[in-house]
Amino acid sequence: MQRRRFIQALATAGAFASLPLASLQSLAAEAVSQAVSVNDLPALEGKLTLYLGRGEGGLYENVLQAIRDRNPKLNLSVRRGPTAALANTLIAEAKAGVQGADVFWAVDSGAIGLVTDAGLAQPLPKDLTGQLKSDFQYPSWSPVTGRIRTLPYNPDNVSLKQIPSDIMELPDSDLAIGWAPAYASFQSFITAMRLLEGEKATVDWLRRMKQRAKSYAGELGVVMAVERGEVDLGLANHYYTLRLKSGKPDARVELAFTKADAGCLVNASGVLALSEGELPINFIRYLLTREVQSYLASEAYEIPLVKGVELPEGLPSFEHISPPDMDLTRLADLRPTLALLRNVGIL
Amino acid sequence: MRRWSRFYPFALIIALLALVPVGVLFALAGDAAELFDAHNLNVLISTLLLMVLTVIGATLIGVPLALFTAYVQLPAKRLWLIVLAAPLAMPSYIGAFTLYAAFGPGGEIESLLGIPTPPVNGLAGATLVMTLYTYPFVLLTTRASLLSLDAGMVNAARTLGMSLSMSLWRVVLPRVVTGIAAGGLLAAMYTLSDFGTPAIMRVDTFTRVIYTEYNAFGLSQAAMLSLQLLAIVGLVLFLESRVKGTQERPGRRLAFWPSRWQASAMLAIVAPVTLLAIVLPLLIFTLWLLRDGAGGFELSYAWNSIYASLLAAVVAVILAVPVAHAAISGRLGRIMERVTYLGFGVPGIVMGTALVYVGLQLPWLYQTLALLVVAYVLRFLPLAVGSVRATAEGLDGSLMQAARVLGASPREAFMRITLPLTLRGMVAGGALVFLESMRELPATLLLGPNDFETLATYLWRVYEAGYFGRAAIPGLLLVLMSGLGLALMLCGERRGVFDASEDQRH
Repeated sequence: MQRRRFIQALATAGAFASLPLASLQSLAAEAVSQAVSVNDLPALEGKLTLYLGRGEGGLYENVLQAIRDRNPKLNLSVRRGPTAALANTLIAEAKAGVQGADVFWAVDSGAIGLVTDAGLAQPLPKDLTGQLKSDFQYPSWSPVTGRIRTLPYNPDNVSLKQIPSDIMELPDSDLAIGWAPAYASFQSFITAMRLLEGEKATVDWLRRMKQRAKSYAGELGVVMAVERGEVDLGLANHYYTLRLKSGKPDARVELAFTKADAGCLVNASGVLALSEGELPINFIRYLLTREVQSYLASEAYEIPLVKGVELPEGLPSFEHISPPDMDLTRLADLRPTLALLRNVGIL
Repeated sequence: MRRWSRFYPFALIIALLALVPVGVLFALAGDAAELFDAHNLNVLISTLLLMVLTVIGATLIGVPLALFTAYVQLPAKRLWLIVLAAPLAMPSYIGAFTLYAAFGPGGEIESLLGIPTPPVNGLAGATLVMTLYTYPFVLLTTRASLLSLDAGMVNAARTLGMSLSMSLWRVVLPRVVTGIAAGGLLAAMYTLSDFGTPAIMRVDTFTRVIYTEYNAFGLSQAAMLSLQLLAIVGLVLFLESRVKGTQERPGRRLAFWPSRWQASAMLAIVAPVTLLAIVLPLLIFTLWLLRDGAGGFELSYAWNSIYASLLAAVVAVILAVPVAHAAISGRLGRIMERVTYLGFGVPGIVMGTALVYVGLQLPWLYQTLALLVVAYVLRFLPLAVGSVRATAEGLDGSLMQAARVLGASPREAFMRITLPLTLRGMVAGGALVFLESMRELPATLLLGPNDFETLATYLWRVYEAGYFGRAAIPGLLLVLMSGLGLALMLCGERRGVFDASEDQRH
């Protein structure tokens, strides 16, 4: 919180120019220095258009501003919109033969899947994809930061011991549960469950969960409901809890994790290049630097996916959480999940 | 009849233009195999329920407020109108979210003041929110019709011993029924196409099914479902077209001069509406602003909002005039007019994507301000058409004929008689387009120039990311700038030819 104010104050004073890319280096210095530093990267020059799926309240903006300030010869223009709408726009543009964007940075790997399946993404060099953790390397797109599925719970109502470590056992508990079935991350989680546990087990799980679950519009709503004591436990991405606690440190909500199943899936935001040439690739390199990665981790509570960058505060380290083994582009296979949710009567 | 037909060519071109994005939807839906399936019947029922309840609510609030703003002479009368119309500029999802957060056990009101309040959610909550953010449709269209009425009939009724409330009910309201219906139609269509409010209030409506498909990358299914939603839109359009008004000569306007306590009583009745729709959301955001801190906001966003919306309002009114007059002159024109409404009933994000396809056909315009204005006009043309038609319908044709007998050309008669007499409808229509463009989101995001940030897009950005404190300043500016734009347009209203005689007080 203090750090955020500090950065905001500097940003308004106009002194932000070199901030996250220079002074945050000290913060990242403790990390094992496998990640590339901005100092090792070539300067960006020329015109670049970025389609940005959701803005994360200015944090992605701060990263973009810092890149702009560091590269005065870069003429960067940005279009922001809902991830699915921008992916559809890219497809429409490709059909009409219009090149609107050079780079697409999406909050959701499903949208990345739609664009790569349409054959619009340029291949990425090996040395770039090699910077990412081994489970997160793909030929034509690069994950930027991740988010993990968690079980936020209200410690006044539940103790950690009462929470099963296997997501499939959750319906057997006697807890009141909050979830957001219409929310994209929830649907990705069910897609992962479908792919990991099979369709039958997933349908069974959903049927039994439905008895004790209350639906919310979004996962912030779920976390707020847990905090209010409306439900004992929720299913939500990790950062909603961490952000709620940053604004309200005494909030009655803690995080629990399941083990090596869909319940602790790590999904990622991703970036891909749409036009050929060095500039889009080098722009992507900036997003994978240790400065940007640790900035997003400390400020947006996102999980850095580049090797050798520390996790955000309030999350156990990667050794203590065990996400399932999953090809994230397979999560684009959403439609069977929707059919399944509808058949069970949840959507 | 024959002399009106010259509106037809214009109206036909405009109707065809308005039909283009709907045509794109048909093309997009071509890939979809599934039709609407039976278990969506519940969805259909709750969609219709929410629509009907919202129209009732919007009429119950909008019509009395229209009487109030049209006839009651109060100090700062225009300011009242502006404040009462302002909810139309506030995105309804913002209102829904703040009301949800403010009320109920553990809500902000209880945790701050310790007063337990009932929760705002479900069908009742959604109806409340939709009513609060759609009643200005009814208010503005009804007020425009009321102002073109001659007070003579009411005065006659009062002279013959009818009470004031009875004469309003029996003598005034039946004559503005087309204005009320035009506003009710817009409220119904807004409700059908809105996504945010039903989602936050957890009501299962048609738009929610469409959004789920869209976000699961099923664009063709979303387009197909949107076309099916148009079946309901068509039904509403048909019902509204059955509402017939009367034709009469314009004259001196009715005016009430309330005593001080009467005025205070009226304001006390009006206050809760504004409190809930505008003040409460802004207070909640301010609370979060104090809690989280602000940052990242630039004043240029407000300027972007206001000039794009003003441009859209002007263009929409210019295009609406021939369509509205064509609608009055015959059955064929009526059909052309109805066609322009279709796009307003399609959920924003699907319409936004359809407009991307339209815009890509004009590559030299793609992602420019001009195209964004075109998109606003295509989406919100019915708002202007409805208001202009409602006032033009009430016009007595004999004035026009008199002008013609006295030697005016059809063009001169139109410019000097019809146009000034429908100016109120044009201003009301322009105001509706302006306010609605201020809060428009999907087309602004997808079709505006790169880096084009408006108040609505900034609000969306911070809301999506959960930085609610930062929504306070743009929320407040949205209300202030809308007020400013409305004030500008209401100045135009004064230039009406008959205003000179109306403003004489007897």
